[in-house]
Amino acid sequence: MAAVSQGFKTDLLGAIPSLRAFAVSLTQNADKADDLVQETLVKAWDKHESFQPGTNLKAWLFTILRNEFYSQMRKRGREVQDSDGIMTARLAVHPAQHGQLDLKDFRGALEQLPEDQREAIILIGASGFSYEEAAEICGCAVGTIKSRVSRARTRLQEILKISGEDEYGPDAISAQVTGTAAR
Amino acid sequence: MKDMTKDTMAGAAGRRRNGVGDPLGPNSEIGRKLKQYYDELVSDNVPDRFAQLLSKLEQAEPAQKKD
Repeated sequence: MAAVSQGFKTDLLGAIPSLRAFAVSLTQNADKADDLVQETLVKAWDKHESFQPGTNLKAWLFTILRNEFYSQMRKRGREVQDSDGIMTARLAVHPAQHGQLDLKDFRGALEQLPEDQREAIILIGASGFSYEEAAEICGCAVGTIKSRVSRARTRLQEILKISGEDEYGPDAISAQVTGTAAR
Repeated sequence: MKDMTKDTMAGAAGRRRNGVGDPLGPNSEIGRKLKQYYDELVSDNVPDRFAQLLSKLEQAEPAQKKD
């Protein structure tokens, strides 16, 4: 086995905050998320030779983490999902400057989504991946990601009772004109 | 998508079109909340255990070379 380069280790360290965020999004549980990140780092280290330098390390790591999550979930027979909302309670303590209540509602809504929809909307709407990258991470077609994102968005709008905001432009337009994004 | 000229004629329609093109963009309430949710998670302090883990993996490397 070739030695793992210092650069690879540094890059792994740098990716940890993103990995943890994605892991929490998947598991909805902080402890399970950190265990998942730990597994991911060990796996990534072991198979570092299969990483093509110059390609997207974050996408490569997210793929490993996601595979690990689903294989654990299969092993445990789906008890990975935290239905007691422990994560919600824990995160609610987290200090935030604005939109605390709103964000709590949003978390609750996100939890209600099926995993495939939740991961798709997180990868596209929050992690900054392209549809192509997200499709690669999830091992499915680009069209599948698109439809999952769209269903996730519709579902979130329903749960949060947000009307079809960009079908009826006024809100979106005034937000853009006045720059009042945070409301 | 279609009618780019129409967009330039009617600015509002053009902006609306942008919203449709990026349904999770800054014009979208869902998109903003999603980023807020995620950014909070990303900015959470990383526990030491991960740096320690990587150091351990690094130290264990010569031993791994055998198999």
